[in-house]
Amino acid sequence: MNLSLRKIVLASLLTLGAYPVAAHHATTMFDHAKVVTINGVVKEVHWTNPHVGIYVDVASKDGGEAALWVIEMTSPGNLVRAGGWTRNAVKPGDKVVIDMAPLRDGKKGGALKKVTIADSGKVLTADIRAQERANLEQEAPAK
Amino acid sequence: MKHFLNVLAAALLACSATSFAQNKPAEKPIINPAPTAKDWADIGKLPDWSGVWNPNISDQDKQHVTNPPPWNAKAAARIQFQQAELKAGRPTPLFVNCLPEGHPSWMMISHNALEILFTPGRVTMLGESDGGRLRRIYTDGRGHPLDPDPTFHGHSIGKWEGNVLVIDTIGVLPQSYIAPSEAHGIPNNGDMHTLERIWVEKDVMHVYMKITAPNVLTKPYETTRYYFRQRARKFDIVEGVCQEGYFAPRIDKDGYHVYEPQPHDVGGNRIPPK
Repeated sequence: MNLSLRKIVLASLLTLGAYPVAAHHATTMFDHAKVVTINGVVKEVHWTNPHVGIYVDVASKDGGEAALWVIEMTSPGNLVRAGGWTRNAVKPGDKVVIDMAPLRDGKKGGALKKVTIADSGKVLTADIRAQERANLEQEAPAK
Repeated sequence: MKHFLNVLAAALLACSATSFAQNKPAEKPIINPAPTAKDWADIGKLPDWSGVWNPNISDQDKQHVTNPPPWNAKAAARIQFQQAELKAGRPTPLFVNCLPEGHPSWMMISHNALEILFTPGRVTMLGESDGGRLRRIYTDGRGHPLDPDPTFHGHSIGKWEGNVLVIDTIGVLPQSYIAPSEAHGIPNNGDMHTLERIWVEKDVMHVYMKITAPNVLTKPYETTRYYFRQRARKFDIVEGVCQEGYFAPRIDKDGYHVYEPQPHDVGGNRIPPK
């Protein structure tokens, strides 16, 4: 193994296209039937449209090679609405655990499902389909 | 001498034509009148469409299966190919070039929020992608131009029927897709006409569309898409420049913040380093 894999979990999805990341293009180049988890250190965050990208250095483990992974997400606007995200929510140098749907071609990339920031324990997701009702947070106290 | 007379006659004819043209009454330009206080007051009588509207993406996914457009045989064959490619993990890269999703795909399959502004004589839809996703819908009573220059969103005229905005659109670029998903779509191939009826019920915006595209559909396609109203400030529309994703922010040797091209694969994803 050339990466730190904690687990590969088969997940069932009912319909094609019901994925949390798609923003401007389809995402079936990612295998949404799998979850790959990596432990690493954030190298760069590209807080850009139409997809935010996170580069994560994964150290060698168990004799495997170190690798740089690219994790794709939805747009900055959609992430902010998903809750908890800002452009600095995940920063270079952060130790992270990332669950992703991996690229089908085996390259070091995936579509984010969940990121956990090790030091704070903060968990962030990117499911824009979780917002499909009106007046979200309407009941929240004014800031 | 004969040649001289011919030239002279031609010159006199030209002078006469010029004189006629100069004397012809100039075509009166159409002036858009300045809005009056009443015009602004009338805006207040329109239904409240304020806030930010995010799409029902799950319903888009569902309608891709349950309510596909009535494609003609040629278009259906391409859709079948796209479906096979999608299942194989090679989705057709319809929108990865950062050209606008255009009309009617924006209203059908956007994953991004939009807002709607009312001003005298116009309704304006502003979206959050493509760099400047925008529809101008004229409600000042004008008709369509006889031969409008085709654009991604076409030429739209609207009228209010009670609380329903009825929009008629022509002049959409033939390259603009009719896309039931981000991985399935066929260029409308020209002569497309759409009729929309938009209304709001209990903070849900209904966008009924009747798409007539005789070059790719066997009959008009009818669909209703849904958007949810949000008033939480975190839903405010933000800038969304699609091309930005094709570059990586860097600092050059002189200390200037610059963008460097970022390689992407054919599907539009950043290419992971080897």
